[in-house]
Amino acid sequence: MVLSLDCLPEELLQQILYYCQPHSTAALEQTARRFRGVTNEPTVWRYYCLTRFKFWAPGHEISRRLVGPISGSSWKQLYIVKHSSYRATTRLLDSILSSQAGRIEKFQAIIDLGYDAKDALLHNISAGSNMDDHLARRYYARAVLTGLHRSLAIREWAKLRNGDNVSLSRALGAFDLFIPESGFGSLDEIIVELDDIMSSIIKSHPDIHLLTCRDKARTIATFLRTNNFTGIEPGRGYHRLEHNFIGVSLNDPAHNSLPLISAAIYCHVARGLGLDARPCGFPFHVHVIVVPPIGFDVDGHELEAGTQGHPIYMDPFRSDKETPIADLQNQLNFLGASTAEQSTFLGESQVPEIVLRCAKNILNSLQRGSNFLGVRSASVDLVSAKYAAVWSSMLLSDPARPIELKHSLTCLMELLAMEFPSDVNLVQRFITPLFYGMAEYDNILESLHVMRAVDGIPREVKERSPRHGTVKYKIGQVFMHRRYAYRAIITGWDVECGAGEQWMRRMGVDRLQDGRHQSFYHVLVEDKSFRYVAEENIEPFVTDITDLPHSLVATAGKHFKRWDVDRRVFVSNIRDEYPND
Amino acid sequence: MSVPTLTFQSNDGVEITVARDVAERSVLIKNMLGDLGDTDEAIPIPNVNEAVLRKVIEWCEHHKGDPPNTGDDDDSRRKTTDIDEWDQKFMQVDQEMLFEIILAANYLDIKGLLDVGCKTVANMIKGKSPEEIRKTFNIQNDFTPEEEDQIRRENEWAEDR
Repeated sequence: MVLSLDCLPEELLQQILYYCQPHSTAALEQTARRFRGVTNEPTVWRYYCLTRFKFWAPGHEISRRLVGPISGSSWKQLYIVKHSSYRATTRLLDSILSSQAGRIEKFQAIIDLGYDAKDALLHNISAGSNMDDHLARRYYARAVLTGLHRSLAIREWAKLRNGDNVSLSRALGAFDLFIPESGFGSLDEIIVELDDIMSSIIKSHPDIHLLTCRDKARTIATFLRTNNFTGIEPGRGYHRLEHNFIGVSLNDPAHNSLPLISAAIYCHVARGLGLDARPCGFPFHVHVIVVPPIGFDVDGHELEAGTQGHPIYMDPFRSDKETPIADLQNQLNFLGASTAEQSTFLGESQVPEIVLRCAKNILNSLQRGSNFLGVRSASVDLVSAKYAAVWSSMLLSDPARPIELKHSLTCLMELLAMEFPSDVNLVQRFITPLFYGMAEYDNILESLHVMRAVDGIPREVKERSPRHGTVKYKIGQVFMHRRYAYRAIITGWDVECGAGEQWMRRMGVDRLQDGRHQSFYHVLVEDKSFRYVAEENIEPFVTDITDLPHSLVATAGKHFKRWDVDRRVFVSNIRDEYPND
Repeated sequence: MSVPTLTFQSNDGVEITVARDVAERSVLIKNMLGDLGDTDEAIPIPNVNEAVLRKVIEWCEHHKGDPPNTGDDDDSRRKTTDIDEWDQKFMQVDQEMLFEIILAANYLDIKGLLDVGCKTVANMIKGKSPEEIRKTFNIQNDFTPEEEDQIRRENEWAEDR
């Protein structure tokens, strides 16, 4: 008999299968009985699962499976489920790319797959430039993934609103999940980084558990400060946006952060090392309260049984020693705080209060930033930061102050419509209940309904008939604004000015040389804003993609497939709307 | 001083002399020598015939300078199916020889050679339908039509890629 594949012992066949694609293994199974055993070997499918997929929806309980007996899990079934999710994600993404209609529903279908969609999304985010539509692919894959992360963050704040126990680190980490540049895709990843700091303290101070409360508090503060985990480097703008994000600051080699974030890092580490450390709601500057265990003072002396010793106040942002309470009281007196206010300011701040405070800080940073046009934060997207701040302040708003809630609503709905339309379901689920019984309730539902309806129908087709012969430029043209000298890309056109009368008056359209009866263009500007520009202000601009700002090219994926090197224009991905461009 | 050598005897009675460092690519031989110490006698290799043994030795000669296997079999890292050019040429043999080499590499415990053999077979399976795989390896289909139909349905997921 001639030696062939079916003569190899089981163990060698298994070795071969490790080098095969899973679908080849499935094909081999179908050839003959001889191969049925080895092609269903759990070890082989476990290997496929672990090497092909990095992210797992919690329902799969992957960590439990990993420690359990190999035969205890149906690894092949699990592989098939993951494979199907991967394929479904890819198909939905392809469909998002091929038409502008029905995107909300398709986004939602991917987000419903949760972490099982993530591997496929990451794969598309790193689509190679050889792909025909790589700009669009990367853009939408990233948009869906950030949407997925946002939904996790919003759930966390919703839990907090319901009074569930959410740690300070998780509640603040939720802000990072809104920011694609943070690099964090789950709160657990942020917790791991914080726990790592804790481990390195234990490594450098193995006997830390023997220290008194005060010495421990000081040791931790000193460690964090000497290793730059807290505070802001001298000479750096205090109010920079990225200082508000715990994850961004952990990732930043210099770990610059505002007092609130420094305090949160301190609290996480200190609590892990057995200290009762809580954020304190001191005005303008979050401190940390360290409370000794009952029956002892901070230096470990015994007190009368059952007595609560006096706490100490730490300021991890700028000091490795405690701040005497008299200093804090003096500051409060200086601010004119009443005795009642003083005890609030010196008391513990609950997690929702800290989250609200962080949201205010973010809005404050944004406002200051807008005074310096052109100063853009490279590490944090401004719009996403604002969106996170608005969501958190709405979800954690004081029900006794509906005015604040109503104020935020306008901003939220604007961001939703302009930037995050796929979040309509999140708004419906988490925001509308906040307005129950108020006049806004029906308005929100109506707006969401309209957004879904508009999204569901195909765009009105704008063909270049002779009637449109006057429209000079095409979708994808890069130009310089004649008057304002910014660079932008054309993403849409109207034969004549299509904006409302009011807008035309405000913008002085009739004072233009050619007035309102010239073609107008929707454009994507290099600061990522969208504007509406008259033809006479467009100065076509021959450029190279490498000369355009990276952020503009990334956002261009919203409308374009890729850059055409020869024609030096972006290639349209909105031909369902502008078929001739 | 001459290079220390060893002599092997194939199962068809042919003696082949090789440099000791080449022979020690085989973990089996290396451990055996460790147990026995030096030997002038021919070492019988009962499962391997002359042609295959020469082929295996050729591989060991070429790879004698390779860094030793670190035993790093990380289960969470995907194994590459890349084969270097020399090995690809080396493996251009008929199927009978290919499987003989795999069996010999397994018996003699030469991990690098076994890997190349397994990768070669995996590449032969790659992208093929069940019928094409049967043809390639001359496999008899022993399923009843009902069984075949059922297994095909169980594996329909694999068509979507």
